[in-house]
Order: sequence, then structure tokens, then C-alpha cells
Amino acid sequence: MPDQTSNGMRCNEFDLLLSDAIDGALSGVELSRFQAHAQSCTACGPLLADAEAGRGWLKGLTEVEPPANLVTAILASTTGVDTQRLRVNARVNQPQVSWLERVQASLFGYLEPIWVTVRQPRFAMSFGMAFFALSVGLTVAGVKPADLASISLRPTSIKRTYQHTQARVVHYYENIRIVYEVESLARQVKRNVAPAEPGPAKQKDHKNDTTQQPDQPQERNYSQSDTQLILASAPSIAPLGPCFDSCDLPVVPVTTYRRFV
Amino acid sequence: MEDVQVVAMLVRRCIAGDSAAWEEIVQSYHRRIYNICYRFAGSGDDAQDLTQEVFIKMYRTLPSYDHTKGAFVTWVTTITRNLLVDHFRKTKQDRMTDSIDTAASEHEDAQPLSEQIQDQSAPPDAHVRSREVGETVHAALAKLSPELREAVILRDLQDMDYREIATVLKVPEGTVKSRINRGRAELARLLQRTYRQVM
Repeated sequence: MPDQTSNGMRCNEFDLLLSDAIDGALSGVELSRFQAHAQSCTACGPLLADAEAGRGWLKGLTEVEPPANLVTAILASTTGVDTQRLRVNARVNQPQVSWLERVQASLFGYLEPIWVTVRQPRFAMSFGMAFFALSVGLTVAGVKPADLASISLRPTSIKRTYQHTQARVVHYYENIRIVYEVESLARQVKRNVAPAEPGPAKQKDHKNDTTQQPDQPQERNYSQSDTQLILASAPSIAPLGPCFDSCDLPVVPVTTYRRFV
Repeated sequence: MEDVQVVAMLVRRCIAGDSAAWEEIVQSYHRRIYNICYRFAGSGDDAQDLTQEVFIKMYRTLPSYDHTKGAFVTWVTTITRNLLVDHFRKTKQDRMTDSIDTAASEHEDAQPLSEQIQDQSAPPDAHVRSREVGETVHAALAKLSPELREAVILRDLQDMDYREIATVLKVPEGTVKSRINRGRAELARLLQRTYRQVM
């Protein structure tokens, strides 16, 4: 601020009186000199106007309401006292919210992200197409919405329905001509191939095998090996009885042969 | 706000371990301290933390209060002001970063204060009533230097007299008056500039 004299008052003197003048504490000659300086000084006049305006802005500011739990927090942090009464007071100061509004608010918090996705046109189009495809499929399959009402949802009923449906599906599948033909063909091929397979001779080959790798390690385990060996070797042992010589025993099954390897 | 004898009795009861007396002090002064902190620090969260710190410090130093040396409210305000100064120093680095950002945007002819005004149709000479205008004044207050800000807060928002402010700030009364004048004028200029830009 320039230290100039105007109407018998210096600018620094004006600055000292400025607060009192704004507060209305000046009177008489002092006030007249102050006003005269403010009108004549190019620096102090605007300063007075700005200071008055700034005071007006500040006086317009309202007091801020502290948080409801502030007193409780202060007491807890100083004395460690968190009294029930203070908590109740803090609760009373808070706006009353019904349980329905609380539930709505919590549900809205969870469902909001989903709802944002659902509202997109792309999702609505996909959902519409899926609904259309499902309704067409049900119509073609002969399912009517009225039939759904007669469905029993008891566990025994559901189980019975499941077994019935499974039996129907198996029955239908086995009665398909091509399936029957393929299965019979497979059986025939198996019958033709099974006698030609080298049986115990494989054992000798196995002895010459220097790789030390089992042929089918996945099929073996310690509990099965002993019994299976005995059963598999039974037809080749003559002293077991006369029936074994005279009877035309079938060829050892493939599964038994596999246990020899 | 206070009767000296009543407050002195209250303080004595507090020192003696009467938790009800302490609760009464907290109830009486928390609003005032929170408002000083809020206007100085600028944010509600900081104000809440600072208010708690003020009361913790008060609780520890309560035996040192001497009612013959000054009013209890002046003592409380002094503690608050000292903590605010500490807080200001601690957060200086953050504010420097902020000021760099603000300076950069000012070079780009941005309007830092006017960005915070929601209702741009508010007249410049309107009374500070609406919330938006209050927030604008609050933001302008934060732009003042801490010396000017604390002076105008104590004078115009807390209605303390010059002598009390001089005690709290530990400066002569003349300096207090000068700071208040400069603070008010600076605030008015900031707000005038803001509204001139948005008009």
C-alpha cells in the first residue's frame, strides 16, 4: 500500500482504522477524515470497498453441522467412554429410516450393476431371441404351459419320472435299426477275431522283452493279479478232472487273457 | 459463551476425574472447534480428525489451563490454531502439488473457482444463502494464505474480538487488523474475479 497523505490521513493510519470503520466503531472527526481519505485515495478507496464486500461474503457463511457421531468419537478417544446414552442420542439425531427402505437400499446396491447390464439394448435383444427360441422349441416338442401345472414335484415322483424317461430312451435307442446292425456286426467281428489271438505264447515274448516296460500297466493291481492268474490258467491244467478233457469249453475270455500279460 | 467461574469449576471437576464434566465441555465446544477446523482445513474428514486431536490435546493439557490468564474459549482456540498450523505444515507437500496443478490450469485460462459453481446464473451481489454460493466462498477462503485465513475465520466466523485473536495468533492487534482487512479484500477480489468469469 502506498504511504501517501490525503486529507490529513496517511494510508497506514487508514489501514489501522479500516476494521473499526467496518465494525461501525468510528465516529465524529475520525470518521469524517476516514471517509474523506477513502474518497480521495485511489488505493484505499477500493480497499475499503473490497474489505466490506469480503466481510459480507464471510458473514453469509452459515455454521457447519458436525457429524452426529463426533461427540461419541471424541469421548471414546479421550476417556475411552462410549456410553449407551451418547449412542442413543446420535441415533436419535439421525433421520428415521424404515426397514422397507433399508431393504430397498441394500437390494438396490446389489442389483444396480445387474440392472445397468439388463438395460442395455444388446442384452434385451439377446434375451428376446433366447425366449423366442425356447418357446419355439417347446411348441415343436409339444410342451404346453397347461401341462406344467399337473407336474408333481415330489421326490418319489421326480425319481419315477426320471427312471421312466431313461427306460424309454434306452429302449428307443436299442431299437434303432442301425444301432442294432452295428452292434451285431461288432459281436460278429469279435467272435471271429478272438480265437486267432495268440494266447500264452505272448508270455515267451514277454520274457524276451528287454524294455522292462509293462504292456498294460493301467490294468494291473496287486489285489487282482493272483486270483486272475489261477483262473486264467485253469483250462490248460489237465489234472483238474475228466470233464475238462471231454467238455468243449469255450475259449478263455479276452479279459482273462489280458491278465496274463 | 462462557461464565468464567462456571467454566473454571467445570475444568476443576474434569481434572478431578469427573467424566460428566468432560462430556459437558465436549458438548459445549465441539461445534465451534469443528467449524474452525472445517473452514481452515477445507474438508469435513480433516475437520473431524482435527477436532478429535484438539480434544485429545485438551484432555491431556487441561491441568495447565489457568483461568486468570484468559478465557477458556481463547485457550481452546489457541490449541486449535496450533494444531491447525501443525496440520498445515504436515500437508504442505500435498498443497504444493495442488498449487502446481492450479497454476498450470491458470496458465491455460482455466477457471479454478468457477468450476465449483453449480448455478452460474447466481448474481454477484446476492447474499450468501444458497449452498452453492456458500461452497464457492468456502473454496475462495481456502485460497487465502493461512495467516489471512485464520484471522478472518476467527473474526468473521467465530466473532472473536481483536484482543483475543491477537492472543491466539501471538501477534499485535494492529497486525491482526491488517490481516483481517487484507484477508477480506483478497477474498472479495477472488470472488469478484470468479463471478466475472462465469457471467
